[in-house]
Order: sequence, then structure tokens, then C-alpha cells
Amino acid sequence: MFSKWLACFALVLGLFAPVFAQAYTGVTILMSAPSPANSEFIENFKNELASTKNANLRVNVIVLQETEKLIVAENSELVIALGVKALEAASRLQHTTPVLGVFTPLPAFNEVLAKSRRELGNFSAIVLDQPYWRQLSLIRAVLPDAKKVGILFGSVSSQYIEIIKEEGEERAFSIVDESVTQEADLIPKLKILLESTDALLAIPDRLVYNRETAESILLTSYRHQKPMFGYSQSYVRAGALASVYSSSKQVAMQAAEIAIKSQLAPSLLPPPQVPEYFSISVNNQVAHSLNIPLMDEAMLYKKMLEAETLEVMEHEKTKH
Amino acid sequence: MKTYVKTFALPLWLLASFSQVLCAEEANTNNVNEKDTWPIAATSQTVTEDDYLGDVPKVLTVSRLSQSKADSPSAVTVIDRETIRASGIVDIPELLRLVPGFYVAKNAGFIYNSNDTVSYHGMASAYPGAMQVLINGRSVYTPLFGGVLWSELPITVDDIERIEITRGPNAASYGANSFLGVISIITKDATEAKGSSVRLTHGTGRNEAFYRYVGDIQDVNFRVSTGYREDDGLDNRNDFKRTNILTVQADKHLDASNEIGFEFWATNGDRADGELAKDKILFTPRVRNISSNYELIRWRHNISDDSDFLLQAYHAYNGTDDSVTSVNLRPIFAANPPLLSSTVTVNNDIDLDRYEIEAQHTFSPATNWRVVWGGSVRLDRTYAPYWLGTNEADDFNLQRLFGQAEWRINDQVLMNLGSMVEHNDFTGTEVSPRASLNVKLAPNHTLRFGVSSATRTPNYIEEKFNNPILVPTTLGASYLVQGYADTGDVNSERILSHEIGYLGQLGNLDVDARLFNDDIRNILNTKRIKLTLPPNIIFASKDNPRTYFNGGDAEVRGFETQIKYRLFKTTQILFNYSHVEIHGDKNALPTDFTVSMPKNTFSALITHQFDSNWDASYAYYQTGAVSALGDGSAVGLNRRSDVRVARKFNLNHANGEVSIVVENLFNSHYHEYALYNTLGRRALINLDLNF
Repeated sequence: MFSKWLACFALVLGLFAPVFAQAYTGVTILMSAPSPANSEFIENFKNELASTKNANLRVNVIVLQETEKLIVAENSELVIALGVKALEAASRLQHTTPVLGVFTPLPAFNEVLAKSRRELGNFSAIVLDQPYWRQLSLIRAVLPDAKKVGILFGSVSSQYIEIIKEEGEERAFSIVDESVTQEADLIPKLKILLESTDALLAIPDRLVYNRETAESILLTSYRHQKPMFGYSQSYVRAGALASVYSSSKQVAMQAAEIAIKSQLAPSLLPPPQVPEYFSISVNNQVAHSLNIPLMDEAMLYKKMLEAETLEVMEHEKTKH
Repeated sequence: MKTYVKTFALPLWLLASFSQVLCAEEANTNNVNEKDTWPIAATSQTVTEDDYLGDVPKVLTVSRLSQSKADSPSAVTVIDRETIRASGIVDIPELLRLVPGFYVAKNAGFIYNSNDTVSYHGMASAYPGAMQVLINGRSVYTPLFGGVLWSELPITVDDIERIEITRGPNAASYGANSFLGVISIITKDATEAKGSSVRLTHGTGRNEAFYRYVGDIQDVNFRVSTGYREDDGLDNRNDFKRTNILTVQADKHLDASNEIGFEFWATNGDRADGELAKDKILFTPRVRNISSNYELIRWRHNISDDSDFLLQAYHAYNGTDDSVTSVNLRPIFAANPPLLSSTVTVNNDIDLDRYEIEAQHTFSPATNWRVVWGGSVRLDRTYAPYWLGTNEADDFNLQRLFGQAEWRINDQVLMNLGSMVEHNDFTGTEVSPRASLNVKLAPNHTLRFGVSSATRTPNYIEEKFNNPILVPTTLGASYLVQGYADTGDVNSERILSHEIGYLGQLGNLDVDARLFNDDIRNILNTKRIKLTLPPNIIFASKDNPRTYFNGGDAEVRGFETQIKYRLFKTTQILFNYSHVEIHGDKNALPTDFTVSMPKNTFSALITHQFDSNWDASYAYYQTGAVSALGDGSAVGLNRRSDVRVARKFNLNHANGEVSIVVENLFNSHYHEYALYNTLGRRALINLDLNF
């Protein structure tokens, strides 16, 4: 399996067409609207750069206008696109302009990448998706005895079934899945899952999780007295038991690191990556109601890190 | 929520699972058609940052989250959808046979109430009160006798999502009438799976057809349920029931923090009533019409993550048309003076209206505190000329204010404190406090120590039952027939309950056990009084009329347990047992209430799943000998076995289930509540279809 991955990497690296590019001197942050998350990102990104003494990057912020043409100093700037719309706009810039997507889910990034025919070498992202192993690791930390985790897949998220199942197996979880193809199936299939599993893990897919279905899903899970693990802080606020998420500050930190590291070689942006820094959000009220003893967020985080470190070490062992 | 700074770098190999997907996408890149134009991510199916960073409306608000059983101040039994389904039971009160400590008996009365008698720990007549019964938070006991007209509730077992039963007094949370226990019925709502469903039932003396639809129109989610039910009742009794039911529920989110809900429910139909063996003269066998409806509006406002406000107002109506004419009275009143007319007609119409506004605020002042407080104003308007001896409607006002707090002292110890202050027209102001301590001995073992007090306000029958029937004579004088002549001024019954509870989980075994001691004071009972009559009235009843008075005290103590055991993945057992002893000076009261609860009751439900389509269950109910109050008589121990076999099926555009239920499989002809209620075997076939 691992050799297959390596082969993939080789392919990915092979696509890094060695194009001529000069070091960039500034960063343009592109966004469709100054949302709180975007503003927080910008502020923290600037702070990060300021705290790094050897960085002398200018930071320029552009809010996308529907009518106006996007003007960026294309060969001397790193463009950080906040959100999918901004990433789409950035992908229309000259192909030599290094672009780093932020606040973009992986499937959307892949879609933009495919349509724009950009190359990964100078078109990358810190995706919004938390890695599945991290989410499963949270479930393990919260529910040490859980055996079965239920996942509702939609047409988009179904491409990840096998990956999640493998990740689950490695953590002694059996992943039970149900695929939803139309809205009417949602609650009946959810009920089937809830009857046979210890927890529900939410994987984003518009067909399954949207503003209209959130209430039914959370209420149905609660009525079955099963915890749901969400993919955002909002879900935890709404009634999910816990979730892994990365704050704007954490993403800004990672973006700043990339901006600094790649400054001299803009055509060698690192491949798209998952958020490196993360936080845990828990809903204590839900935990009490479901009678699930919960450690505080700091303890859970520590426990997850320990599990991760252990996994890395074990992997190193098998490699040698 | 805390934010964490970098502690270690993410190893590249951990990204591997993502690069697999990337590889797949890369391969596609080469085939991109030049004609593909922007915008690209406009398809609504593509997950964007909004899915991660956007708001999700708060669903499980503090008021929606109930305390876990381990944190609850009282013993709580939950009958969920699966249990309801497995039991095969079609009448709501019968579900309570699956709750330890409950006494449920089928009864066909003869004047007004031919409904099941349901009580917790006995002391029940045909009109059992002393229990709070709620449907979606709305109180449904009738002010007339304090109990519930089960068959007139506008719901069927199929509408129920779950029933939460608080065993023991809980006035601090649920208010008036939460004296011995609380039955809170939560119905399915508009968040259910959308679509249509049909349920058809046919069986011995029973037919039902219900249609349900869940849908939405412009952000308004709604659920409609309508149908017809007919039940022939018990053998050799005149107690058939025909009922039409319509319910409409709708919810609308005004915005992320405001939600409005509406409920409208209605029933009507015919009830056969009357029993020649009990009354040959006036309440002879007849058919009366019943109707009920209620309208509710509810506003949920989410103030903050830790604070919720709920306001609801409703009106409920329950009534019956029942004008009864006596048989020819001349042979009965043969003595002089002669009767003016050979018959009398009595107006037994009943119209009960309840109006209530309730407000409730739930909040969490600190992470280890949760507080609920609120109040309500209620008006009960009772028109019952036969029962109250007046053609005027009578108003009963009730105001209450309650507060309760949950204090999580540490991970092991939790305290619940609560109290209610209530003011009503009959007995004035009363206070019902409660306290309990839950100690977690180990993660899955909790001990609970509780003290709770509650009062039970006298109902209309106990306070104002006055049923004089005048039979005029040709000479100006009248005969008077009267069974009850309440003098009023009775006090509330008061209960002080102590309990030690245990909740535990041992592998596949769930145990809920409880030792209790209830001290009940001022028990209401009846005695006969002599009326002072004007000279032109001739008292013609055999005995003097009765009046209610606060007669005696009782101590109810015992042990009860519910055990759930998952034998295999596919086989589950639910087991309930209770041992209840009522002590008191039986000579102090005209009726012996110490035998009004079976000493031992036992029930079990075994379910087995053969495969994904077939499942079966077996239920056993055993009720010890008992002599209920009121019209009840001594009945012996009875045993009942029910079996149910069900098969699920899937069609192209529909799915469903066919099930066959046989109640009282061995056809044992036992009696319940009184000797005139004889039970026999009954078989039913159900078809559920969802499409």
C-alpha cells in the first residue's frame, strides 16, 4: 500500500514542471468578503510574518469584485486565496503565479486544480479537511471502548469510504457506512446506522450535511443517545459532542511558514496539506446529557498527540 | 475553546491518504475539455468553506438536553420506539405495564370514564389521579377527576417517539399532580423522515387506519397524522369506542436563534357507556359522543450557548355530550306522593377547557451549574352539571413558580435542588421542595439519595362533587336521589418520599434499582353524611350521600427494579419487578387502601432478531391479587403472555413491515380492576408502509 503511495508521490512530483520563477517579494491575500474568519486569518498572518525577523514580505489584501478584473503583480507575489471563490479567481492568473489556497476543502481544491489545469508545484493549499486519522483519534480519546463508528456518505464524500475504513481498522474501529443518494433516504439510513454503532462521524457532503438537515441529524442522533463527532466548531455548538478543527490563527501560522519557506523557490510550493495545528472543541452539556465522561479540551489534545506520536514511531519502526 | 500552538510537525506520510485522491484528480487533468468554462465550483454540491466555517443553527440547546439518567434527581424509565414496537401494544396506557411499580388495568366504567386504570404504587380508583401526564410538555390530566382519559388522547402509539416516566414525586419539575409519578409522552415531530406512511391494524374487536405525512413548505416543517380507530372493548361489556383523530404539527426557524412551533390536535367519536349490573335506572347502556381538541403555540429562543427561553401557550378542550333519561320511575317510587313525570332526564354533558401560558428559562451560570426556572398561569373551566350540581361553568385558577438547579460538585458527586410554589383556588399556596445527591461510585455505577415532597390538590370530584337528582311529584314536593354531597374545604394530600437508587452497567447488563419509602398524609377518602333537607324534599336514596374528607395516613414502601440484558447481539431481555407494601390504619378509613396495589408485579419483554427482516418478541405480564378503590373489587393474580412476529420488507419505492400480535396467548380469562372486566385473547395484524 505504501509503495503505491510513493508511486503517487512520484507522479505528483513529476508534474512539478520546472518553470522559471523568481523569488516573490510580497503576498497578496485574496478573499471574496471580509468575513470574521478571513479577517482573523489576515491579522494573524501579518503578526506571524512580523514575528519572523528574516521575513521581509509585503502583505497586500484584495477583496474580490464581481465586475473588476483582478490585478496582481503576478510574478513577484505569492497569492493566498481565502476560500473557494478566491481560489477560482486566483487560478485564472498567469500559471506561473504561485497560489496557496486557504479555507478550501480538498474536493473543491481538486476541482479548481482540474479545471484550471494548474500544476501542483506552484498551486497548493492548506485544506480545511482534518485528516481522518485525527478525527478517529479524537473518537478514541473520548470513547475508549467504542467499537463501531457510523458514517453517512453522500455522492461526493463516498470517494473516501475505503480510506476511512483503512484508517479505522488501524485504530480498532469498524466503520459502518450508509450511502445517501437522495434526501428522503437520509433519516431512515441514519437510524439504521445509529442502531448499530457507538458514534456518528460527520464527513462533509452537501447532500448529507447542510443547514436544512443539521437539525434532523442532530436530533435523531440525540434521540438514539448516540454522540455525533462533527467537522467544525459550529457543529459542536449546534449539538455535536466534539470535533477537531483548526482556528484561523493556526492556519495563518502554517500559511506564514509556507510563505517564508517558499519565498526563494516559488515554483516549489509544498503539496496540498492538511492543517498542521489543530484544536479540540467539545460540548460539555451534550456529554453530560449522554452520560459520557469527558476530559477537558487540553487533556484530550494531549492524549491525541500522544497517540499520534506513537503512531509515527510505530510507522518509523515498520519502515526500517 | 482553547487554541494550541505548534508542538510538532506533521509527518509527510500522514498525508498519503490525501495524495491518493490527488493522484486520481491529476489523471483527469489531462482530459480537461477546453470548452469547460468558469465558474467551476458553482455546483451546489461542492463543499466550500461555508460548510466548515458557516453557522449551524443550535439544535441541542440547553433546554432540549435532558439530564442523563445518572444525573437525574429521580428514577426515570424510558420507553423508546424500539420497545414500543417490540411490545406489540396498541393502547398507550398498556405500555406502562413495562414500567416497574405501575399498576395497569383495563376497565369499562359506566357513567363517564371507561378507560384503563393506571397508577403508580396503587391507591387508585376508576378515576386515578395523582400522576402528571404530559404530551410534549402539555398537561393532559382532566381537572374533573385528576386522571387521564387515555382513549381520548389525540395520539396513537405510533405517534410516540418515547415516553419518559419519572417514578416518584417530582412536583419541583413538573408541577401540580406530579404526586406519585410523571408520565411525559414525546411525540414524533416534523423533523422525522419526510414522506408518507400508512398503518393498518385489524384484529379481534379492533380496526385502525392511519395516514401520516411529513413534509415542508417554504421552510415550514410539518407533520400531519389522521385516522380512525374502532375498538369493541371487553367481552360482554358495553364499552365500544370509535375515534377519529387529526393532528398537525409545524415548526419554523425564524432565524438561527428563534423557532416557532404550532400544534393542533383533535378527536371525536362515539363511546358506549353504561352497565346494567351497576345501574339499571339512570346511566343505562347508551352511546355518547366525545370530542377534544387543542391548539398550542411555542416559541423557543436561544439566548446564548448556555441559555434558552421557552414560552408556550395553549388551549385544550375535552368534552362529551351525554343526556340520559331514566327508565320509568313510577314502579320504583310506588309510594305516595305520585310522580309528576315517569322519567327524569339528567344532563351529563361535560365541557372542560384549559388555558395555560408557561415560560421557562434554562441556563448554565457556571460550567458545573445548570438552572431551570419558570412559571405558569392556568385556568381550568369546568362545565359538568351532573357532577357539580350546577349549570354554571366553574373556574379553577392555578399559578406556579418553579426553580431547580443541578450542581455538579465534582466528577463523582452531583446535587439536584428544586422547589415549586403553587397557588390554586382550592387550597391556597403550597410549596414542594426536592433534593437529591447522585454519587458516581465508578464510571458506570451511580447511587442516588433523594428526598422529595409534593402535594396533590383535590380535584373537582373531591372538592365539589354534588349530584342531586330531583324527581318532582304531583304534590309539589320532590324526591331527592344523591350519591355525593361534597362539603368542600378539603386539604391537599401531601407526600414525603425518600429513596435510594442505583444505576449500573455491568457488561451487557443495565440495572436500575430503587428502594423507596413514601409517607402520604391527608389521604382523601369518603364518608357518609346526613343532609339537612327543606320540608318539601324527600330523601330517596338507600344510603346517605358521601363526602370527601382528609382521612388518614399511609406509608408505602418497597423495592423495584428494571434490568436490561443483551444476551446476544440479536437477543435482548427487559425485566421489571416491583414489590410494594402499603401500611396504614385500615380502620381509620372506610376503604382499605392497603390492598389497593398488588404486592408483586412482574413483566418481561424478550426480543430476538432472526435476520435483517425477521424479528419476534415475547412479553409476559404478571400482576398480583389486588383490590382497587372506588368501584374496584378483589381480583386475583393474573398472568398474560403476548407474542409478536414481524417481517420487514422493501419494495421499489416503499418499505414497511407486517406484524402479527397475539395478546393473552393462553386465553386465560382473568379479571382486571373489577370482576366485571374479563379479559380474553386478542389477535391483531398490522401493516406499516412508508413511501
